[in-house]
Amino acid sequence: MSERTERSEGREAMPGRLGVTSTVDTSPVKKAAPRSGLLAVARAPGWVRYALLAAGLLAALWLPNGLYPAVAVDILCWALFAVSVDLLLGFTGLMSFGHAAFWGTSAYVTGLVAIHAGLPFPAAVLVGALAAALLALPIGYLAVKRTGIYFAMVTLAFAQLVYYVANEWRSVTQGENGLQGVPRAFFGADLTDDYYFYYAILPIVLLGLLAAWRIVHSPFGRVLVGIRDNPARARALGYPVHRYKLTAFVLSGFLAGLGGGLFAVGHRFVSLDVLHWTTSGKAVIVVVLGGIGTLWGGVLGAALVVRLEDWLSFSGFEAIGLVTGGIFVLVVLLFRRGVWGTVAHLARRRGAARRE
Amino acid sequence: MSGFLQNTFNGLVGGAFYALLALGLAVIFGMLRVVNFAHGAFYMLGAFGAYVLLAEAGVPFWAALVIMPLALGLLGMALERAVIHRLTRLDPLYNFLLTFGLTLILQDLVKSRYGVQSSPYATPAELSGTVDFGLFDFPTYRVFILGFTVLLCAAVWWVLGRTRIGMVVRAATERPELTRAFGIDVGRWVTPVFGFGIALAGLAGVLAAPMRAVNPLMGADLIIVVFAVVVIGGLGSIFGSVAAGFGIGLIQAWGEAYLSDYPLVSQTVVFVVMAAVLLWRPAGLFGREEAPA
Amino acid sequence: MKGMTMRRSVGVAAASAAALLVAGCGGGGPQSGGDSKLTGDKIVLGVLNDQSGAYSELSGRNSVKAVEMAIADFKAKHGDDAVTKDISVETADHQNKPDVANSKAQEMVDRKGVDAILDVPTSSAALKVADVAKEKKKLYFNIGAATTDLTGKSCNKYTFHYAYDTYMLAHGTGTVTTEQVGKNWYILYPNYAFGQDMEKSFTAAIGAAGGQVVGKDGAPFPNTSGDYSSFLLKAPTLNPKPQVLGTMQAGAELVNVVKQYNEFKLREKGVGLAVGLMFITDIHSLTPAALAGTTYTDAWYWNFDKQNREWADRFQSETGTRPSFAHAANYSAAMQYLEAVQAAGTDDADAVVKELEGKEINDLFLRNGKIRAEDHRVVHDAYLAQVKPQAEVKEPWDYVKILKTIPAAEAFRAPSADCKL
Repeated sequence: MSERTERSEGREAMPGRLGVTSTVDTSPVKKAAPRSGLLAVARAPGWVRYALLAAGLLAALWLPNGLYPAVAVDILCWALFAVSVDLLLGFTGLMSFGHAAFWGTSAYVTGLVAIHAGLPFPAAVLVGALAAALLALPIGYLAVKRTGIYFAMVTLAFAQLVYYVANEWRSVTQGENGLQGVPRAFFGADLTDDYYFYYAILPIVLLGLLAAWRIVHSPFGRVLVGIRDNPARARALGYPVHRYKLTAFVLSGFLAGLGGGLFAVGHRFVSLDVLHWTTSGKAVIVVVLGGIGTLWGGVLGAALVVRLEDWLSFSGFEAIGLVTGGIFVLVVLLFRRGVWGTVAHLARRRGAARRE
Repeated sequence: MSGFLQNTFNGLVGGAFYALLALGLAVIFGMLRVVNFAHGAFYMLGAFGAYVLLAEAGVPFWAALVIMPLALGLLGMALERAVIHRLTRLDPLYNFLLTFGLTLILQDLVKSRYGVQSSPYATPAELSGTVDFGLFDFPTYRVFILGFTVLLCAAVWWVLGRTRIGMVVRAATERPELTRAFGIDVGRWVTPVFGFGIALAGLAGVLAAPMRAVNPLMGADLIIVVFAVVVIGGLGSIFGSVAAGFGIGLIQAWGEAYLSDYPLVSQTVVFVVMAAVLLWRPAGLFGREEAPA
Repeated sequence: MKGMTMRRSVGVAAASAAALLVAGCGGGGPQSGGDSKLTGDKIVLGVLNDQSGAYSELSGRNSVKAVEMAIADFKAKHGDDAVTKDISVETADHQNKPDVANSKAQEMVDRKGVDAILDVPTSSAALKVADVAKEKKKLYFNIGAATTDLTGKSCNKYTFHYAYDTYMLAHGTGTVTTEQVGKNWYILYPNYAFGQDMEKSFTAAIGAAGGQVVGKDGAPFPNTSGDYSSFLLKAPTLNPKPQVLGTMQAGAELVNVVKQYNEFKLREKGVGLAVGLMFITDIHSLTPAALAGTTYTDAWYWNFDKQNREWADRFQSETGTRPSFAHAANYSAAMQYLEAVQAAGTDDADAVVKELEGKEINDLFLRNGKIRAEDHRVVHDAYLAQVKPQAEVKEPWDYVKILKTIPAAEAFRAPSADCKL
């Protein structure tokens, strides 16, 4: 471990920002860029990374054996959704409060394609995700001109537009009744059992996560982090800031769409809930709980939130919002690194303490 | 003609609620740079408080109109000191998230105690008639809401314009860099202003109790529209929030009355206007563009 | 190196802790059937409904109580002859979200061994659970949802529509109100599937009864502004002037419409009020004073006769409140399912369905009831109710008088050609 790493880890002890540069942040002092937990892991020796990766893969492979398969499927879909939101929030510094637009649009398009074209479900999901990316293009084009809280508001407004359009366009979306009977066609294979369906979508989800990982580790991803931390410098260095942000937004929309499409096939129907603003809010909760800017934190957050909700709805405890809201408030107040970020941070601090 | 006037009146009444809520959001944003997601929950608490006061203690509407804003204002101040304050040095989005979590908690607290079924609240007897305007008649209660809100906004306007506190608040809200540069101590006004914003939300809630369904979720969807209203008027612009509130109320009422075959229009107009405003005048219709970050 | 070891162990510990957390109370495979004709030698009823949202009071957890009452009564009735003594209830909150309803319904069947699912309000959730019932071959008695699709194009062999539907609501109120209150209607409906269904059914019923709809408007849904004044202002100005305002809004939206109906003094202007779907809990929250004279169709009323009243007293001692028709219907559906299992001697779904189809029933909820074999619509007497003036309300929750009993044969639509079981 070099001294340089030590220092940057020391700085990370004060996460003051969401990784967001907002127009309303009047503080003249630019704080040091927080290193993401992900990057910290990436700097760990190879065998640590592989051990973590292997543990994660094992957990993913084992999941539907220890957990009700339908819940496990939901976790996979939400993991993709959370990672897509984190791609913007943690690595580009943009908090989308309207990501349900992409998740939901893809869910509807996937459902319609699967019903009417009878394509195998991965193809339908791909079409759905592409549609989400296509929608992300104009919305992103307009939204990335703003930052901080304004960006959140603009995305929220566009998501509401999409929600109301879907609500009114009943001949296509079936409105409140929802799009029923989305098939799980896959070359004649019987995937009606969620247990097998889980393993059928696992490769797709892993591909999506790998793509997200590749994106943040590519030169492109490093420019995004640079823009997040100091847009003025990035601009001065000649990077077309808006175009970078827009690309990130569209990629994020695609990933959210991938999750939404799988969610539609997983549930074999689509309802308006997928477009409601509370869905966008839940995605942000998942990311914050897991850890902003940690990528894998979103996966962990998805698992925790989906599992918690499942447990609560059978528990006879009626105040679900009290629990999720309470946990969320505690995280925002006390553990702003989220679960993954906190664990990674503690691990590093212990490591540092041992070396001294 | 009388139909048009009635719809216009209704638009203004609907707009009065937006204006009260938006005004509170705007002063809070101005002083603290916090977009208070919980504003809708405080509106709900105002209405619920009025119901609980009446049902369990026999406190009439008029007393509730004073008690609830005061009580919620104090609660807001306590909240600001206890939690909001801790996050103000960080990115504003943290407080947005914090208040989002608070919203879930407040809604569920009320829900677990009083259930989700709407609670009854009758129009106060003095205001339950109609006023005859010659061309048309109109419910007295709605006339009262409109008059009361306009007076209140005027009073706030006067306080902000004519008193020292007002000047500090206005300066801090509308020209934060300059105010700090002049070395004016804004800090001690932060808590009272937060409380004041919350009190306005509570007041709107009490006013809504007789004419809207009083239930734990009554503020949940409304707040999204109010966000759009403040952004249109200009986050932190005091005049803008009030003007945009009444404006959006009018547009919605006309849309509902004359484009009732196109419900999409009245549902989405506020968001379309918001998107357009943000692109054309990013700081809102009446906001001032701040120094770019 | 030590540091790295630590880090690795922490990392692995975190991963495995996460896995454990996620697993939680997982596990537990399907029940293995013994020699008994009942899987697991027991019967499990699953009440899946809204326990935290808009419908949680008119049904919700108190419906679980009603089902428990049915189980107790069943055991008391059959004693040692009961097909099993091990009868239990599982319940889950679907939060009015169809995706949650979907997972919970499957989970109930797969993990909790549920034999029959009850209730499920909200049409989208109800239709989804019907799919689950068909696929898992488990019985499903829908009580909380109104859509006629459950006995139309989305009907299936294992799904029974028990309490009410849009046709029943519209037909009863539309017909009798036209005959008894006024012929000219203005209809205000929330512009989505339920509201549009209701509007069509009402228009048909009003026309058949010799009335006419002089105006109708679809209000935005969801209506975030909560304002209906433009419609309420318009109603009395129509020509010919409507004598009845028919509102199809439900829940909180209904509360908004009624509050504003009173604000604009429509009753004083000679426009009466008829409501498409109203529960006793709605009257309670609006107060009878706000609704006096309003007509609507009820599937069951707690103070209708001695039998209802006695059961309502028991229910009140269990729950502290008076039952809505959904509570009584949950009780009845649970009881009829148990009786059918008792008669069939097995919980095999096909055998129980066979037992139920065509059965004629008179019980607490079903009067002149019959489970139609053609579409699994459970038909029974319905009631046209009118909210009493405050002065006539003698005790809490005694809010309506029954103007007319609508015979079972007329209350529901004929079996639909769309339904192929």
